[in-house]
Amino acid sequence: MVELRAQEQQVLSIIEKSGGTLSVEQLISDLGLSDAAVMRSALTLQEKNLLKIHATTRNIIKLTEEGKTYAKDALPERKLISALAKIGGTANLREIAVRAQLQPQFVQIALGWVIRKKWAIYNPKDNMLTMLNAQVAEGSDEMLLKQLAEGEQTALDDLNEPLKQAAEQLKKRKLATIEPKTSRILQITQQGKKAALEATMAPVEVTQLTPELIITGKWQNVKLQKYNIQAPVAKTFGGKKHPYLQFLDEVRAKLVQLGFEEMTGTQVETAFFNFDALYVPQDHPAREPSDIYYIKEPEFGDVPDEQTLSQVKQTHENGWVTGSTGWGYQYQLQAAKRLILRGHGTCLSARTLQAHTYRVPSKHFSIARVYRPEITDKTHLSEFNQVEGIIIDKTLNLKDLLGVLGKFAMEIAGADKVRFKPDYFPFTEPSVELSAYKEGYGWIEFGGSGIFRPEVTLPLGVVEPVIAWGLGVDRLFMMRAGLEDIRMIFSQDLQWLRSKQVT
Amino acid sequence: MPTIDVDLAELEQLLDVQFGGDMEKLDEVLAYVKAEVKARNEKEGSVSIEMKDTNRPDLWSVEGLTRALQGYLNQRKGIKPYVCGKPIVDVNVNADLWNIRPFICCSVVKNIHLQDSTIKGIMHLQDKLDQTHGRNRQKTSIGIYNFDLIKPPVRYTAVEPAEVRFVPLGFEEQMGLDEILERHPKGVEYASIVKKNPLYPMLFDSEGKVLSFPPIINSNDLGKITEESRNLLVEVTGTQHQTVLNTLNLVTLALVDRGGEAYAARVHYPKTPNYAERTVVTPDFGNKRFQLSVSETNRLLGLNLSAEKIVDLLLVAGLEAESAVGDSVTVLVPCYRVDVMHQVDIIEDVAIAYGYNSIEPLWRELPTTGHAKPEQRLIDVARELMVGLGYQETLNTTLTNQENLFQKMNMPLKRTIEVSNPKVATMTCLRNWLLPSLMEFLAANTSVEFPQKIFELGKVTLPDETSETRSKDEDWLCAATTHANANFSEIKSALDFFLGNMGVKWQIKETNHPSFIEGRVGSVIVDGVEVGVVGEVNPLVLLAWKLENPVAAFELNFHTITINKSPK
Repeated sequence: MVELRAQEQQVLSIIEKSGGTLSVEQLISDLGLSDAAVMRSALTLQEKNLLKIHATTRNIIKLTEEGKTYAKDALPERKLISALAKIGGTANLREIAVRAQLQPQFVQIALGWVIRKKWAIYNPKDNMLTMLNAQVAEGSDEMLLKQLAEGEQTALDDLNEPLKQAAEQLKKRKLATIEPKTSRILQITQQGKKAALEATMAPVEVTQLTPELIITGKWQNVKLQKYNIQAPVAKTFGGKKHPYLQFLDEVRAKLVQLGFEEMTGTQVETAFFNFDALYVPQDHPAREPSDIYYIKEPEFGDVPDEQTLSQVKQTHENGWVTGSTGWGYQYQLQAAKRLILRGHGTCLSARTLQAHTYRVPSKHFSIARVYRPEITDKTHLSEFNQVEGIIIDKTLNLKDLLGVLGKFAMEIAGADKVRFKPDYFPFTEPSVELSAYKEGYGWIEFGGSGIFRPEVTLPLGVVEPVIAWGLGVDRLFMMRAGLEDIRMIFSQDLQWLRSKQVT
Repeated sequence: MPTIDVDLAELEQLLDVQFGGDMEKLDEVLAYVKAEVKARNEKEGSVSIEMKDTNRPDLWSVEGLTRALQGYLNQRKGIKPYVCGKPIVDVNVNADLWNIRPFICCSVVKNIHLQDSTIKGIMHLQDKLDQTHGRNRQKTSIGIYNFDLIKPPVRYTAVEPAEVRFVPLGFEEQMGLDEILERHPKGVEYASIVKKNPLYPMLFDSEGKVLSFPPIINSNDLGKITEESRNLLVEVTGTQHQTVLNTLNLVTLALVDRGGEAYAARVHYPKTPNYAERTVVTPDFGNKRFQLSVSETNRLLGLNLSAEKIVDLLLVAGLEAESAVGDSVTVLVPCYRVDVMHQVDIIEDVAIAYGYNSIEPLWRELPTTGHAKPEQRLIDVARELMVGLGYQETLNTTLTNQENLFQKMNMPLKRTIEVSNPKVATMTCLRNWLLPSLMEFLAANTSVEFPQKIFELGKVTLPDETSETRSKDEDWLCAATTHANANFSEIKSALDFFLGNMGVKWQIKETNHPSFIEGRVGSVIVDGVEVGVVGEVNPLVLLAWKLENPVAAFELNFHTITINKSPK
């Protein structure tokens, strides 16, 4: 048995019921379907040899606007002759025209046709018109005009000879147009007849399984239509976590697993914790307005207790008891109080040390939003996240420094091998840069670390060695996500977020 | 970070190493001094080298770089010796300068043969020193003159701006000092340094000829160096004596490295409110002494080095040991190593000479317990719920502008945390609510398939006079849905699911909010406190963001509704 869709079956059975042939136009109006839908079914049925599509081109006659007016009011020559008949069969043309209520410009046209149709004779000498017969029968042009006005579509080819001539005449008079139009006739084949018969006996095909079908048990008596499962469907966009935040979640989980506890703090920070406590001198270029955002108002915040402040001040000026020469300048309290947007996450480590709430040993990390007055481009953001932290213990040395970075490279970056280089941070000595190598990615600078200078720890009252470390998570993320442009981290491209693979 | 341009062939010749165009090999060598190749210009045969250590101005010339690397390359051990001849010039300082620009250090370099490329190298160094070490000439600035044209003694004084006229370098006509500050490019650039004071610093010779207007510009007559100049006067003025002296040492040494012979100058200071009358001889090529503890070195490096081994490594690092007694090594640090402030700086040099990659990394399992910040658990729960509701998480910048926060939201202005030095007009303050971020996001996606449902759980920053930093950050949550039929009931339904699952009992109260449609907006009330808003966004706001579909949104003070739920 031939498999038919519900619509194809419907088409086939209607054609069969209408005696085997039906025009597409008819089908459209019977089924209330679109032209495209009917043709789609028809073409499928033809492919299956169930019907034949005959395309015929016919010349369709249609009235023009003028033609429609005459169909309603009668042709001007008819108006003229009717008026003449009423007067008595012979009269002066001017009088007839008045009677007929003809516009002056139509009088000559009407006269011309009256003469041409041999309804009357005209004597130009006395302007007299005389009917040839008492009655003038309806002409074939008038009949056609009426037929067309009734709205039936009329093809030239279907008319008898006089009407055909009338049609040509109306066309000449610009009362009608004749234009070719292709129409399709569907004719059922023998096979089609069989299929239509089978279909009427086959179970009803159902597209959507409804609660009603399920509850009533009717679903057992219907045929659930087979779908074209290859057909494309509308797209669905589920909610997802942001890929970069998800990556930071992973980093956080790793660090927690490695025994680190999270530090937090405010985005607005005092220069004291962002710089001074980290032994960055007050005239350092990193404190220039080109390198750090300053808060407009209020300009100043609070700095910690007198003792800490005094120790930091003396360390900057002359090294205090740290064994350092210090920077040798005059420390300004106001500069320490200046409010800024934090430029790195290390201020959180300074706060943790200054607060003295830590145990020994302890490990801390932060994922901090930090700010720099950069023009954003492919490699720079004015706002980004830093992952960094500290380790405090009685005995920590350069070996631990390398070990910590090595561990991060393996655990977080999944590195195959690492290498170390000397590095520089104003607040650590010695300082190390770590490059991690991962198959397929190559070498990336993944992190830096160092041991806080005594000029940092001692003024904050910390006697234990403290390892400070930071990770280049943005570069790692970009590498994993296949990004070349760091701005994609804050991308507002919804399409990218929707299509970004989550693995 | 300072970057210097170096002629590759010259560097290879000075270092006696051929890199054969292999920049990785050069990088390996540069790593000893924390430098790396930034770019290579093959046409000019030069490389740009970036110095990570901002505190090592001794590296900012090809000679200095060579001097520092020679030890690591086994070519010369210890400190490079330099000699300075007896003073041959006197400098008299006027007392009026004491609170303007009090310090000057001078030297004379004789019998130098300059080539165009060496003049360029010296100018390059001078520029870097002025910018970085001299804090854009604020702290120190350098002047170099044709000594043969100068009649000593030199007079460093302060003048009324109207008193002096001279021809500044690069110009042909005489100009007044204020005219220089207005018209000369260097005058415009550095005017703010001198304009703070009614008197301007000036340098004259004994015949009253102008040497320069420090720190702005040299005279075109005496302060122009050419290949024909044989004898030079070098001068550094500034606000901090040690830095001024360090800078003079560095410039003088660079000229000595170019074949010149250095001679000293006597600087006579008068009595001022903070100093007695005194005479200082400059430059000073003497070494500084630091005590290095062997045990402290081993403690910090986790190694077990003998004093002898440490002494050897010091030589590789370009330092020297004067003596080693027991645990203590007396280390000589040359004058050009201005970065050494503490023995840890020397210990790092020992470690670099030993080789970082020769040290075994150690990961200690410390008895610590890790945990995320207390609020993180509920933040994660909330994000899961929003994702479950079909909302896409977004990440937006917290820096924004008042137009986004207020004007485009049909809101009256409020005080926000503004920055005083914005880099771009679109980033001038921190956001104080989240919906503008989401509206901006939607505005960027008008041609992407609908429906669009997005959220952000992120920080807002609010003024808070009671806080140490005069502000507080809070985690807020905002969600928005937009499509042809987006409406109040859709967003209220999402909010109800969200708060219900967060275990929050809430009520909604009619309210007016300029960003939302009147009669289609409510306050979210929890425990009698208003914690957020939910509603359909005002068409005025939609128009401001050029959005054509309705938007329904809610915004919650997540911090407040979860504060009592987070474990302490």
